[in-house]
Amino acid sequence: MQIPIEYYLILSAFMFIMGIVGVLTRRNAIIVFMSIELMLNSANLTFVAFASYMGNTIGQLFVFFVMAVAAAEAAIGLAIILALFRNKMTLNIDEVNILKW
Amino acid sequence: MELNINYIINSLGSLLPEVAVTLALVLIVIVDLIMGKNKSLLPYISIAGILVAGYFVIDQFGMNGFALAVDGGKGMIVVDSFGAFFKTIIVFTSIVVVLFSLSSKEIIENSDRHGEYYTLIFGMILGMFFMVSATDFILLYLAIELLSLSSYVLAGFAKNTMRNAEASLKYIIYGGVSSGIMLFGISIIFGITGSTNLYEINSLMQAPQFQGLVGLLAGILIFVGIGFKISAAPFHFWTPDVYEGAPITITAYLSIASKAAGFALLIRFIKITFIDSINLQGYWTLVNVIDWQSFLILISILTMTLGNFAALWQNNLKRMLAYSSIAHAGYLLLGLAVLSNQGIIAILIYFAVYAFMNLGAFFIVMLIANKIGSEDMDDYDGLGFTSPLIGVSLTIFLVSLTGLPPTAGFIGKLYIFFALVDANMIVVALIALANSVVSLYYYIRVVKHMYLTRPNSQTVAVVPNIANTVLLMVLLLPIVILGLYFSPLVELAKTSVALFGF
Amino acid sequence: MEHFPVLSLITFLPLLGMLIIMFIPKTQELLIKYLTLAITGIQLVVSLFILAAFNYAKGGVFDANSFQFIEKFRWIDVSGFSWIGQIKIDYFLGIDGISAPLVFLTALITFIATLASWNIPKSIKGYFAMFLLLDTGMVGVFVALDFFLFYIFWEIMLLPMYFLIGIWGGPRKEYAAIKFFIYTLLGSVLILLAIIGLYFSTQETLANGSKVFTFNMLEMMNFASYTETGILSPLNPANLRLYAFLALFIGFAIKIPMFPFHTWLPDAHVEAPTAISVILAGVLLKMGTYGILRVCYPMFPEITVQLAWYIGLFGMINIIYGALCAMAQKDFKKLIAYSSISHMGYVMLGMASLNTLGISGAVFQMFNHGTITAMLFIIVGVIYDRAHTRGVDDFGGLANQMPIYTGFTTLAFFAAIGLPGLSGFISESFVFLGGFGSENIRVITIISTLGILLGAGYMLWTMQRIYLGKLNEKWSKLPDLTAREYLMLLPLSVVIIFLGVYPSAMLNLMNSSVNSMVKFLADAQVIFKSVGGL
Repeated sequence: MQIPIEYYLILSAFMFIMGIVGVLTRRNAIIVFMSIELMLNSANLTFVAFASYMGNTIGQLFVFFVMAVAAAEAAIGLAIILALFRNKMTLNIDEVNILKW
Repeated sequence: MELNINYIINSLGSLLPEVAVTLALVLIVIVDLIMGKNKSLLPYISIAGILVAGYFVIDQFGMNGFALAVDGGKGMIVVDSFGAFFKTIIVFTSIVVVLFSLSSKEIIENSDRHGEYYTLIFGMILGMFFMVSATDFILLYLAIELLSLSSYVLAGFAKNTMRNAEASLKYIIYGGVSSGIMLFGISIIFGITGSTNLYEINSLMQAPQFQGLVGLLAGILIFVGIGFKISAAPFHFWTPDVYEGAPITITAYLSIASKAAGFALLIRFIKITFIDSINLQGYWTLVNVIDWQSFLILISILTMTLGNFAALWQNNLKRMLAYSSIAHAGYLLLGLAVLSNQGIIAILIYFAVYAFMNLGAFFIVMLIANKIGSEDMDDYDGLGFTSPLIGVSLTIFLVSLTGLPPTAGFIGKLYIFFALVDANMIVVALIALANSVVSLYYYIRVVKHMYLTRPNSQTVAVVPNIANTVLLMVLLLPIVILGLYFSPLVELAKTSVALFGF
Repeated sequence: MEHFPVLSLITFLPLLGMLIIMFIPKTQELLIKYLTLAITGIQLVVSLFILAAFNYAKGGVFDANSFQFIEKFRWIDVSGFSWIGQIKIDYFLGIDGISAPLVFLTALITFIATLASWNIPKSIKGYFAMFLLLDTGMVGVFVALDFFLFYIFWEIMLLPMYFLIGIWGGPRKEYAAIKFFIYTLLGSVLILLAIIGLYFSTQETLANGSKVFTFNMLEMMNFASYTETGILSPLNPANLRLYAFLALFIGFAIKIPMFPFHTWLPDAHVEAPTAISVILAGVLLKMGTYGILRVCYPMFPEITVQLAWYIGLFGMINIIYGALCAMAQKDFKKLIAYSSISHMGYVMLGMASLNTLGISGAVFQMFNHGTITAMLFIIVGVIYDRAHTRGVDDFGGLANQMPIYTGFTTLAFFAAIGLPGLSGFISESFVFLGGFGSENIRVITIISTLGILLGAGYMLWTMQRIYLGKLNEKWSKLPDLTAREYLMLLPLSVVIIFLGVYPSAMLNLMNSSVNSMVKFLADAQVIFKSVGGL
């Protein structure tokens, strides 16, 4: 029995919303980054699901690129967090507030 | 499926600028490794690399065709005059920014990391080149990410200062979220069309059974990603923080080159993906999926109003220019909202002018910051009397940003209003004009600090050296000359308006 | 072009002077002053030559062939398909009987203002550079016949004026300068919008028979040039001509300044240095009324006729309101500023009459107000230089202390009131005769005559408070006029008296132009009726 495409889409939409909510509500910079990864992965899931549903390889191809980009983004993100931590000794993004209005 | 290597080799001829940029990037990494502590050669290699790329870009004017096309299909990249125009702006901005970097105090102080600095600038250039000419979502996404990842690092280049690191963190969080949203939009579009190529998606969308509502959702999600790059409201929140926090050379670069690439991408995305037909007057009819016109008008009015009104309260010049660049994004979006070739001509003209005046304004802010270590408006008191060249030049740049004749900024605005009035969008034009009156107030405030306050004993004299004076003139003279004689610019924009395929 | 480009000369000579001044070291203050004086002097001589060579028979207004000293060549030329970036702009200068007096006025006032600037305390170089740039803008507005060019000159004036008030002004100079700038820019963006609308509604026919959109002001007055579908074309049933007229009118009215857009004027005048007040009142205010006559009237004849009553009404409000405000002022300079508002009301009233008498009166009043108010501001400047106060009640009995000064003052005051034998009388009576002759605004005219009474009231009252009565001991050391001040006041007095006894000199100059304007307005009604545009 094949799982219908809707199930995948609902799961990925759920993951996407989780990601957005995570970014908006969590204050720890690392968790914010994890939420962003979750958003990217929800898109990946959609790509793969559609690709297999339509028997089309482009979607799967796209996913590989996205994974590579996500890894690069995570690496840069962690490096930036590290630089900030050295300056400020905090991971809480609410305390990063020199620049405003 | 057999990979035909000949297609790729044939395509290289149309990708010469990108190849040149890549080779220069590699060369910088190698030279940086070999030369060790001596970084003085790097900027010159960079300029040479950009000039070579620029030569190939100029060669692309008048070309028309796909690169990297698979057998019989549509390509990932198009080469056309429209792309060449934006690439020229990017090349020009890159050269000027590298020249800025030579005298920027912030950059010189971190000379041990100059290798990374110039490498990443080339990463940005490559990303922007691909953004300008990509017609496939895969390449488009990769190009945006290449640009973004490089600029995240560059925004925090002087990592020892608190505000640099903060700018960088804010940039990557906002950037990551918006690219995630955009990617989700792309995945939906892929789901309903089964393709990632803009031309193919366009032909599928014209089919009657197309799902409009899902297309609307996907289109708006993708717009979020691009809107972030061009700092359109309400995706502009990163702009002031990043512009203020980043080193000023990078701020200038982000405000022009990266915005230009974003606009080129947006225009191509909307025009190629959604177009139905173009009539004889140059007006486009779009596929009835998204009411782009109302949407873009709404966004642009929001953008310019927010940008202009927030700029009124700023005391930091960089932050003020950040808000002003948001406002300018609003004017530029109006050119697109007209949905006509007239509007695109207006955008092209505006961008060419905007590059000169914004670079000039940032250059002077940098020269002053090098001397007094502050970008605060109150520290500019009386500067016009002690440093006449700086004062007069900044005044001209700001007047041009306001859009008063006889400066080139007026010509840019004029063409936007031409397009609007021609399309009968009078009320929108009125709002935009009222906005430029508001903008006068904050631009003239800088002038007020420079000239209407007498210098005191602490007022320093900022005298640029010969090289910087020449660079200043290169940015200043076109503002005045194009303001009085703009035929060449209009001619160029006119020939660059056509996108491949339309 | 077969004749010497004399209009370009008087327009761009000051700009050339500004460029030269930029290269003079700032310690050479005297050189800069004399250079400016020389340039404005040459300008004055050339403008006199223009008046001498002027052909009184040629009407101008809407007919390109009867403009004089025409200079015309292509300035911007981008060809292409009709929709794609095609644009043609002319460098088109020329004068007729309406602009000729104002060009002369500008040259005269600028020359006198240069003398009035002699004692500017700081940054001489910057001051005169800005002064000359302003001069170029002012002359340019009066001679430009291409709307694009007109707008550029119009806007060029803003920045120098901002600096001139803002750097060299009084205690609240920053506020006054930015207020002036924002108000006038608001007006000019409205004008810009209307210009673009007109541009897309009119086409000129090229030599090869093809039609292109045009900025040519005379084409915009030509009914045959309008396109079928342009948004400001009378042929388009859904046109927006009324809104465009209002946009232009408000844009110009801010400059006049017309009630309720007048609030920038008293601030600007009070804070500006004397010379700049002279220029502001003498020339800049005329641009508003000139703009209405040159642009609104011939380009929108049908709406002009419809709204003439309102123009007259606002003229009346200006007259009465300005006079009442002037009466309440304690500051001499502010008093003169409000009297300016009142006097500009006469110009509007005359224009609203739409007949030869009234419009001649309006143009004449523009010229007379320029000379008279310039004189009044110089008079204020003279006393302020000596006493460092402008309070009307601080003085008294100056007549004995400074007899020659008081003589000039009396002349200027009487001219402002409109005493027979002085130029103000002629123009005001023309305005009233014209207004009375027009059934449309007869009632308004009758009410407006109250303005003369009020004007006489506040002027004489001021006269009494400052010059008559007992001398305040504080001022017993005030010296009388210096040679330089003589030189400023004497030419203006001569002009005022000369035009008072021999007004034909000026009236003949403008006569045929005013006649063609009136005829054009009347003819246009017939044309518009025929297409149902009325």
